[in-house]
Amino acid sequence: MSGKQQNAGKTAFTFLRNNTVPLMFILICAVCIPISGFSPSYLLNEIITRLGRNAFLILSLLIPIMAGMGLNFGMTLGAMAGELALIFVSDWQIWGIPGVVLAMIVSIPFSVLLGWVCGKILNMAKGREMITSYIISFFINGIYQLIVLYLMGSVIPIAHSSIKLPRGYGIRNTVSLLNMRQCIDNLLAVRIAGVKIPVLTLLIIALMCILIVWFRRTKLGQDMRAVGQDIQVARDAGINVERTRIISIIISTVLAGFGMILYLQNIGNLSTYSAHSQVGMFCIAALLVGGASVDHASIGNVFLGVILFHTMFIVAPQAGAVITGDSMIGEYFRVFVSYGVITLALIMYEMKKRRQKANIGEQLALAQKEEEQHE
Amino acid sequence: MNNKRKWIFRGCTLLVVLLIAALMFVVGRGHTVYIDNKTLEYNGETYNALQKVEVWVNGERLSKLSKRDRTMTTTIGNGFEMKLINTVNKGDEPTEVTVNLSLPYGWDGILVNIPGYLANLPQEAWMSEFIIEAAPPEEGEEEPGEDEIPTAEF
Repeated sequence: MSGKQQNAGKTAFTFLRNNTVPLMFILICAVCIPISGFSPSYLLNEIITRLGRNAFLILSLLIPIMAGMGLNFGMTLGAMAGELALIFVSDWQIWGIPGVVLAMIVSIPFSVLLGWVCGKILNMAKGREMITSYIISFFINGIYQLIVLYLMGSVIPIAHSSIKLPRGYGIRNTVSLLNMRQCIDNLLAVRIAGVKIPVLTLLIIALMCILIVWFRRTKLGQDMRAVGQDIQVARDAGINVERTRIISIIISTVLAGFGMILYLQNIGNLSTYSAHSQVGMFCIAALLVGGASVDHASIGNVFLGVILFHTMFIVAPQAGAVITGDSMIGEYFRVFVSYGVITLALIMYEMKKRRQKANIGEQLALAQKEEEQHE
Repeated sequence: MNNKRKWIFRGCTLLVVLLIAALMFVVGRGHTVYIDNKTLEYNGETYNALQKVEVWVNGERLSKLSKRDRTMTTTIGNGFEMKLINTVNKGDEPTEVTVNLSLPYGWDGILVNIPGYLANLPQEAWMSEFIIEAAPPEEGEEEPGEDEIPTAEF
């Protein structure tokens, strides 16, 4: 085999190794789409709807990755802040786009507080950010349940009985957001060949992407990248590492709160006790499907991830029903694939780290050998 | 100096955000307006329901009300405009009236009586708060479900 062929083989192998997850999903979608029998316009409609619904939430994960804090499972905290804001806005009867804007503003103090708490804790658990943020989300979920189930209506004033549980305090399982349902998606929406394009929502997402690109070039963005690359070097360079890390988590939490509000205005109702519970997991899975890793993620990964992951989400139940006669198989499939892809990404990240360490070790050994030969 | 400017900038940003929130509070207040074509008794006088009323809101016909009928619409903000095409008695020529109402901020549901409004009565005669009783509890609603996983809606 010639050197050129060997090089090409090596490049192809590296490409396959670096893009295992997206390629696997492209394969799954390629198999499931024809089996499901969905029309292209239906699929496109669904994918664009889900892109508008989820992209903002997933974008909120980019900044902590930039700061070297891995996948922020604590984005669930932002989702809870967004939900609290929506409960208040529903009770105040603020409808339509003003309702969405007000909910975003109201969510900010909750998100900042929760993000600050999360950041402080993560600073105490450096190197174990992902598992810590995952557990923090369960802990804060308990506080959220306490507030929503017992304090709202008894201590925190809630006027409308349509929101309160029949016993007089606590919030109902479902809060209707009918008066703000798809208000952003429908404004400036256009239909092309039967496919609804939520122009305003996509513009908001595009603006967010531009903001992230701009943020990377700011002093704070550069600091975050420096912290993400090497904490010790960043500290030696005079960067306040702890503060930078806390700010990155606060920004992520605030953006997750906004994303959750956008997500719920699209759905049109709020499952008070469960809407946030799986959001972090699905967003992280989507980002990883797009080819991101624990230490690197780009805007491109977000969009590729949403498209591939949600195509699988749409077609899997139907494909499962066609293959096995039971649509529940498809339901289970998409949930287990979500967990599976996170596991795979974590394993691959560890393998990559070990490989890099081994390479450095080999190079050091080689250099030592050469030195000994010279002597 | 630099620090002072930073704090002024932060204060201004906070003020702008609060102003936007206050504006959203005012312009986004939602109301449900119930429009009645029912006979009204006020100060011992009787104001009869109209034979027919067409209610138009935002350029679309909302409803055609006969005697004792009611329709409803939702609106955002405290201003509400509707067009009424009235037929007072059978065989009469319909007349057109544009109604501009200022809705009280604190009322969620607002009941407007058309015969009272057309008779130029004071506002308290034809506008009142409409309070809906909460829906009865559904079975199993006391406690939230434990296995609510939002996979389907995601």
